[in-house]
Amino acid sequence: MRLPRNPMAAMVVLVAVSVSPLRAADSSAKVQLNVDKAGPRAVEAQTEQVILRDYRAAWTSLAQALEFNTLDPLEGPFVGTAKKWLTDSVTSQRSTGLSSRYSDQNHKLEAVFYAPEGDVIELHDTAEYQLQVSDGGKSIQEQHMIVHYVVLMTPAADRWVIRPLQAVPQF
Amino acid sequence: MQPKNLSDHSVLDKSVLAPAAQPASVLDDSVSADAVLKDSVLKEDFALKGRGFKPRRKYRKIDRGLSRCGRILAATRMQPWLLVWVLGANLGQVCAAQDIHAPTSVPAGEDTHFTTTGSDKATFYLVGPGVSSKSDVELAQGVRIPAQSVRNAGNYLAILCSDTCRSATFYVTPAQPATLTLRVHPSRVPVGQNDAVSGVALPFDQFHNLVIAPYEVNFQLTSGNSSVMSRAVRTLSGIAWFRTSSGKNTGILQVNAALNAVTSRRAVQQVASDPCNLRIKGQRTSKGIVVETEPVRDCSGNPVPDGTIVTFTASSENTKSSVDAPIKRGIARAQMEAPGATTISAASGVVMGNDLRIGAQP
Repeated sequence: MRLPRNPMAAMVVLVAVSVSPLRAADSSAKVQLNVDKAGPRAVEAQTEQVILRDYRAAWTSLAQALEFNTLDPLEGPFVGTAKKWLTDSVTSQRSTGLSSRYSDQNHKLEAVFYAPEGDVIELHDTAEYQLQVSDGGKSIQEQHMIVHYVVLMTPAADRWVIRPLQAVPQF
Repeated sequence: MQPKNLSDHSVLDKSVLAPAAQPASVLDDSVSADAVLKDSVLKEDFALKGRGFKPRRKYRKIDRGLSRCGRILAATRMQPWLLVWVLGANLGQVCAAQDIHAPTSVPAGEDTHFTTTGSDKATFYLVGPGVSSKSDVELAQGVRIPAQSVRNAGNYLAILCSDTCRSATFYVTPAQPATLTLRVHPSRVPVGQNDAVSGVALPFDQFHNLVIAPYEVNFQLTSGNSSVMSRAVRTLSGIAWFRTSSGKNTGILQVNAALNAVTSRRAVQQVASDPCNLRIKGQRTSKGIVVETEPVRDCSGNPVPDGTIVTFTASSENTKSSVDAPIKRGIARAQMEAPGATTISAASGVVMGNDLRIGAQP
């Protein structure tokens, strides 16, 4: 890109270029699932598709809940400790006036354990997203995050639900 | 030489950007460069330096930093407008007066302390799993994080804001295992089945965080006084599991998992397997043929549970009829109508019994 000779104009162009990706942020989650290393039970193709669907929906719900500080999206995709800490996060964000925006989500999900009876699956998620923390609508922090999550999912009546969703420094 | 008017910004001449005698890092400065731009006294100090005036000691660091920028500019032949942009783009980092230093990891549920640089007041934010707090802090005193704020394992974001915001990320790691979740399948299993019993153990700390660090879990399966299986399994990503055959005797199969002093116990009901060596006997009576099995047992000698269905089939020259009878107190019994010579057989599941031939009604 050729910059204008005028310093002020150049600054405006550069600032505009550097800011534009933020405006194009996407709140939906992109998820890739690899079940090749899952064991001792092999993950059936239909199960793989359902887990992919439900995990994607869970992160979309998480993003909505923490951006708009509402508990409704958490009903369904999360149970147990995952639901508790998300509920606590929303509640405390409401009281402090904060909000967290997860955008441009990209999840590389790998199934590492699938129980013999198929009642629990452990997933390792290398998640990349843009996290923006705002106080009273004013952005105070925005950064690109790469976070490793250890996830346990169990089958419920009509979907797979997330129990713990725990970030770790590395797998 | 007398200082010029303190509000005269024109005195901020190129001498400010002149190479410094001593190298210094601008990033190390604890004084905000915002103050440089706002404080005319500072500008005057720097301007006077170019004319032989020595700046006050507390401003020398800034002076050295800016001088370093001048050297960079000269060395790279950078255009002034580009320098302005570079400085502007990095203003938040270069000029931050405050900073926060967090440990890379903090044990769950323990008090921790972050060191901060700066001397003013600031707003401290802590954002993590289940936590979103905001508080005013004195930068000189650092930031104390109470134990209840870091109970949930995961990644946290600590943000410190005054004029600008600085942040640090850190991880809260799970504490020692306090509970052991044990899932065992099935709840009821036939004896003598290969790989029929499986269990998964997951250690959690007192705050319900999954303990990812490897620990050894001892699985012990006992039936009555006999040991069915004993195995030590190291957790991998917070999971230890086993799969084994069921025992040979009916009754309760105790499944114990132990991680140091933390234990968990489940029970599996072992029931008899399919019938083995099904044998029948019968006799003709005035109402027909009464036929019954001998006590039905599986191949390990365990009585087959009551309610197990045995099918009796009577075959004569022209007819064939079947009766299903449940086992009661170990024996299945049925009454069949067959006036002529009849052959009766019995079956339960995939097991066939002996054939019983009974002559025609006299």
